[in-house]
Amino acid sequence: MADERDPKVSQRYRELGTEEPPRHVDEAMLAASRRAVHVHPAPLVPPTGRRRWYFPVAAAAIIMLSVAVTWHMQLERPDPDGYLASAPAPEASRAAPPEQKIEMQAAPQAAPPVAASRMEERAREPTTEPPEKWLERIAELRKEGRHEQADKALEAFRRAYPGYKLPESVLKK
Amino acid sequence: MLAYRDGDARAFEALYGRHRARLFRFVLRSVKERGVAEELFQDVWMRVIEARGRYAPKARFTTWLYSIAHNRLIDHWRRKGLSVVDLENVDVEGSSPNPESQAEARQSLQRFAKALEALPPVQREAFLLHEEAGMSVAEIAQATGAGEEAAKSRLRYAVAKLKAAVDDG
Repeated sequence: MADERDPKVSQRYRELGTEEPPRHVDEAMLAASRRAVHVHPAPLVPPTGRRRWYFPVAAAAIIMLSVAVTWHMQLERPDPDGYLASAPAPEASRAAPPEQKIEMQAAPQAAPPVAASRMEERAREPTTEPPEKWLERIAELRKEGRHEQADKALEAFRRAYPGYKLPESVLKK
Repeated sequence: MLAYRDGDARAFEALYGRHRARLFRFVLRSVKERGVAEELFQDVWMRVIEARGRYAPKARFTTWLYSIAHNRLIDHWRRKGLSVVDLENVDVEGSSPNPESQAEARQSLQRFAKALEALPPVQREAFLLHEEAGMSVAEIAQATGAGEEAAKSRLRYAVAKLKAAVDDG
């Protein structure tokens, strides 16, 4: 190659400039390269060697886990009364300062009507009915202006069905 | 490339970082418009990405990369005319603050660019592969699908013509 090389020509060529691709092109190419790596095609041949045992072991683990969860669910059927009895005490009474506690104890507490109380309890029962029915009852509480009870029921619902899309009727006050 | 083929995205970043500027200049000086050069440049890399699963090292990665670029440029040349990027926006580097000297340097550089532009495409390609990719005659032959004698002849003619342009300036 020594006979083809000419330092003057190379030098002059370098003077033409050192253009580079623009940043957006770089970013597009690198993004495309990452996408291509993350799309894993299915293997054309079955796994061999040390990887061969992964699949049966994983399948056995999944089956055992499924059986254990099913058995556990059968042993521990949900008990609505138990759920209500074990519901945590309201934050206000737990965290309130002593003076406020005295005020709370001294304040007259209006006994809710029996029908409304039953509705509130039913609205807070999380596991005995489908979520749609449960939400209907919370909406009824809202309609009647019983927002405090509706809030508690909604809190219980959210614990039981996290991520469930809530309708406006149970949210608005 | 083997690491990228096996799923290592960072390996591609390293490859791209190593070759991006030189490959871009190779493409840019093989076509006239910058926009076209960017398009062809991306096309070459997309072909590299798409071919990762089939990649088997038969030559240096550089040779393989530029052979893809060569094929892409052949397609382009078949449709368009041949030219290099114009020098409208090239900054002439020089230590002399004298405007006359700068104008002379600019003219000299433009003569060189014209000479590069006037080269037959195969000679210009051989020269760019030699300068930008640092390829030997054998590698130029491999990347362009030519025989070694032909590649050597193309490069020799290209350098001789460009040398004449340099000496003339």
